[in-house]
Amino acid sequence: MDTVTPAGAPAETPAEAAGLKAGALGFISSLVIGVASTAPGYSLAASLGLVVAIPGIGLQAPAVLLVAFVPMLLIASAYYYMNRADPDCGTTFSWATRAMGPWAGWIGGWAIIVADVIVMANLAQIAGLYSFLLVGWQSAAASTAAVTIVGVVWIAIMTWICVIGIELSARTQVGLLGAELVTLALFAVIALVKVAAGTAGPNAVSPSLSWLNPLAIDSTSALIGGVLVAIFIYWGWDSTVTVNEESENSSEGPGKAAVLATLILLGIYLIVSVAAQAYNGTQELIDNSDDVLSVLGEQVFGSPLDKILIIAVLTSAAASTQTTILPTTRTSYSMARAKALPESLGAIHPRYLTPHVSTILMGGFSIAWYVGLTLISENILFDSIAALGLMIAFYYGLTGYACTWYYRHELTTSVKNFFFVGVAPTTGGIILTWLFIKSCIDLSKPENSESGSSWFGIGPPLVIGIGFLLFGVVLMVLWRAAGHRDFFQRTQEIAQPGSLEGPPPSHPAETAGVA
Amino acid sequence: MAGALLVGYDGTPGAQAAAGEALRLAKPLGVDVVFAFAYWANPGGGEIADMLTALREQGNAVLQEALGLAEQAGVPARAELVEGRPSSGLVDLADEDDAQMIVVGSYGEKPLKGALVGSTAHKLLHLSERPVLVVRA
Repeated sequence: MDTVTPAGAPAETPAEAAGLKAGALGFISSLVIGVASTAPGYSLAASLGLVVAIPGIGLQAPAVLLVAFVPMLLIASAYYYMNRADPDCGTTFSWATRAMGPWAGWIGGWAIIVADVIVMANLAQIAGLYSFLLVGWQSAAASTAAVTIVGVVWIAIMTWICVIGIELSARTQVGLLGAELVTLALFAVIALVKVAAGTAGPNAVSPSLSWLNPLAIDSTSALIGGVLVAIFIYWGWDSTVTVNEESENSSEGPGKAAVLATLILLGIYLIVSVAAQAYNGTQELIDNSDDVLSVLGEQVFGSPLDKILIIAVLTSAAASTQTTILPTTRTSYSMARAKALPESLGAIHPRYLTPHVSTILMGGFSIAWYVGLTLISENILFDSIAALGLMIAFYYGLTGYACTWYYRHELTTSVKNFFFVGVAPTTGGIILTWLFIKSCIDLSKPENSESGSSWFGIGPPLVIGIGFLLFGVVLMVLWRAAGHRDFFQRTQEIAQPGSLEGPPPSHPAETAGVA
Repeated sequence: MAGALLVGYDGTPGAQAAAGEALRLAKPLGVDVVFAFAYWANPGGGEIADMLTALREQGNAVLQEALGLAEQAGVPARAELVEGRPSSGLVDLADEDDAQMIVVGSYGEKPLKGALVGSTAHKLLHLSERPVLVVRA
């Protein structure tokens, strides 16, 4: 192949060009996967209204978003170091099993599966709602039945896409994410400009730094409730540090990409939440908590352009569905292979090379769960997200503890290790555990819950969250009672001495060779 | 060996047809056959170790089958596991080995379905600089 080079520039050999390209693409891919996995557009659409509506939060919603980031950041350190132990190690199921034994691993894997199935209800709801809003079909958007039908179709299509293994090219993903971020940024900027110019809504409020101050929230319960919803907004961001892909420079790539993803996410969330509540005050958000972005979009952008924001939310939800289905099926697949779940879940499709049985089953459960929740819940969005918050707090916390425990003998080898592998993950775990317990207490009094509704005298999210966890414990015990010693008699492992020193071990994929 | 026939093999009926055709062509052309199983797992989903292990197991099993076919036909052959997306993986391997052509199977799907579902043959026809032979199952 001839390469034409500008005069005077040294020619790149094809090998060098490929290497550079792999490195650059690896960084961007890590960044895109990390940011896209948190699905900023969808996350904001689903939760901004909910956070603002919590009694006692009001204008301090941006502060809540800021606070919620702290435990996520600390736990990301756990993900980074567990991944470093063995770049292909996996996620909570493998790590908790390794570090803390099969019982912890099982329940951790279960929590991931439950979290993902629960959130599908929320995703489907938003997808259905915003699909109708996109075409301007208001009556359908207001109809539970119509939205549910579209939601179910959505889950089915996304599941099918995952079974077939359809993937968008890296470039397309970058493009979509870029469009999503630009749309959100534009929304925020235009809204703020209008507020400054006085052409915003009648209840417009000038942004103030106090909105970022968590101490301005009087009630801890309010803060807890807000953070429980808000950790969902950052959920998925850890994939930036677990993706060691094509990057030649595995030890550098994920770290920098993670930092950049952090800044991007924090920035977007803060700016959009500030702009959203500045535009027409908090009551507007509370009244329209189901479709905050579309209502505001209409006012900020004006008639035809507001569809862009709706499209951004929909593409975000689509991306999020995929990044939700994938971890669920991977976890259940791994559990099946480890004999922690029925073997049939460990099948791979001969042509598509995907764990099709797991995927279809998870899709089925998601649909059943979504339809069921639609029938019995008064506020699907809130109930699903708050319950999800409990699950995330549970398994992220578990991951934090597992990391510190696994590396417990390496913690004193250096100050950096002590802080990043010891203090950070454990503190993150403690914060999330406290959040979990306090939320359970608060949610046990239904008058605290968003809708004030109650099931068995307790707030719905608590019933869902604890209910599923207890159900998991029962299943786990039954599974053990049925034998399966291979899995349950696994012993805890501990990090090799010196495993935190030096460069991370090479990606096993690099050594995959001849059959 | 340069000039070998590279067969993208995954054990499915289309691949078997492709393998048959390649083995049939190898003798008169006097070249070897290389069977390649290409696999890839999205790194974003986590628990990737188990997926990759499973895919490699599948690949090895399937390639053993292919080598068996080659032995029966009396054609010298070797097998390769290729990690990466099938179309680009096969193209890269073909370049590395300086293969004469790439042989893959087809399901005979309608073109739109092939494009949606992501048929490797479909992509290779556009990506590959070397001749591509598509054999119907």
